[in-house]
Amino acid sequence: MLELSNVQAHYGKVHVLHGCSLKVNDGEAIGLLGRNGVGKTTALKTIMGLVPATAGNIAFNGTHLNKIPAHKIAGEGIGYVPQGRGIFPSLSVKENLEIGLAKAPEAETLEHVFARFPRLKERAGQSGGTLSGGEQQMLAIARCLILKPKLLILDEPTEGIMPILVQDIRKEIAAVNKTGVSILLVEQNIKTALKLCSRIYLMEKGAIVHEAATDELQEDKETLYRYLGVSV
Amino acid sequence: MTPTKVHQLGIIALIVFTVAAPWVLPLFVDSFWVDIYSEMLIWSLLAASVNLLFGYVGLLSFGQALFFGMGMYGVAIGIAKMGLGFWPAFGFGTFLATAMAAVAGVFAVRLTWHYFAIITVVFSLIFYFTALSWKPLTGGDDGLPFSMPPIFTFGEDVKLSLTNTTIQYYFIALTVGLCYTLLAIVLRSPLGRAFRTVKENDMRASLIGLNVYLVRLTAFICAGFIAGVAGSLFAFFGRYASASYMFYHVSGEAVVWAIIGGVGTLLGPVVGTSLLIILREELSHVWEHYLLLVGSIVIIVVIFAPRGLGGLWHGLVNRLASRNDGTLDSSEETKL
Repeated sequence: MLELSNVQAHYGKVHVLHGCSLKVNDGEAIGLLGRNGVGKTTALKTIMGLVPATAGNIAFNGTHLNKIPAHKIAGEGIGYVPQGRGIFPSLSVKENLEIGLAKAPEAETLEHVFARFPRLKERAGQSGGTLSGGEQQMLAIARCLILKPKLLILDEPTEGIMPILVQDIRKEIAAVNKTGVSILLVEQNIKTALKLCSRIYLMEKGAIVHEAATDELQEDKETLYRYLGVSV
Repeated sequence: MTPTKVHQLGIIALIVFTVAAPWVLPLFVDSFWVDIYSEMLIWSLLAASVNLLFGYVGLLSFGQALFFGMGMYGVAIGIAKMGLGFWPAFGFGTFLATAMAAVAGVFAVRLTWHYFAIITVVFSLIFYFTALSWKPLTGGDDGLPFSMPPIFTFGEDVKLSLTNTTIQYYFIALTVGLCYTLLAIVLRSPLGRAFRTVKENDMRASLIGLNVYLVRLTAFICAGFIAGVAGSLFAFFGRYASASYMFYHVSGEAVVWAIIGGVGTLLGPVVGTSLLIILREELSHVWEHYLLLVGSIVIIVVIFAPRGLGGLWHGLVNRLASRNDGTLDSSEETKL
């Protein structure tokens, strides 16, 4: 579905991605882990066209994403929940859900999203900025789902969220994945990533340094400690 | 009473006042205030075009007078030079302004913030000097006067024309009302939502599939259309066109009216324009430096009420409503 081959990216003169290669298959949930500043968010931004890829190739279902503008990438079927939620605080919850659509959504689509996130239905007329952090994260995920993506990219969805809501968000991401939507997850919360993903890529200095099935990685304490500095 | 109902009542009061103004105003003040009110309505459209760009899309234009002037010249050239009738001239003025906005917009909306503001001033200045120097077509410094053609002719003797001040007033009020209705419809549509999304965060907007450039260009053209209608109306109102209305200080005035009235509120420009034109009419003949007062008001509003008088009104209504029954309509501001 999504394949990054030897992708390089720069912020001005700073070389950030040094040949990043990874693959997300249909229906798969993939984790991209690494310490702070290794280039995980840059990798996601490069996929979404926010940071230009200076070399390498990004292919999504046969389309070369590095050749199309950012606003067309969403139309290819990729939903992106950026770090820090990325909702529109002054717009109401309902408006936040509707913004990506050319016309008003069918009642069925909206009901489907509200059934998954009942808290959002209760707050449909409230402005996005007045929601709690967890609710904003749910709104950001819901906004992507309303566009019926084939791949959902999430950048630290549980960052700064109350522990009680982390579990809800984790559950929702798993439920979305079960409907056939592929997931590419960047997480600092290792437990969340290990619970949700079937395969994990470890990143260091702008490149993928290790790839393993989740079960395998959980046993490999040495690798986890070396690249993430934690023991699970 | 919910905030929505209070706002609706406010709008109804404004409509009733506008409809009754030709009879009610002369009871209390000099009848020339009816003409002044017509002028306020026209200028409020120019401020509304600034508001559409600045309040809803986040683009501060100091060049809206260019489209206002294009509307004026379209009507004046159409009637005086091309021999057009009322409606074709009105259409020509509006078309000219909208087409100009489309051409200027292609270049201008690639930029944002101060660069955008500067390029709009540059466009405005280019056409201001062109209009001044192209005397055979525009009349140069003297402007281009014309005789008012009838709106409709029934048979040989009965003519409906703006030379009748009551017809002129209602024609202006109706056209301005239609423009605000159109604006309200656009702002509540998915396009209006796209405007506000781009204003809030253009990067996030592109991530959800919005073509930010196209959204900004559409807004720019819509704003040009509104300014063009205003310019066409003003040409009919004054029976002439002049390059001086294309100068960027006219755009600056419209920015001030929009800010005082409240950017991001539909009817804020009417309030801001009315207030400052009333001040001008009342003070300019007794105190030649009355602009000092206008400047002070702008400074006070920008510091203490950055959302303008419209924002103050919305805040007040929402606060009263939440105090009475806990109702808070957070999206109200974007609606009205």
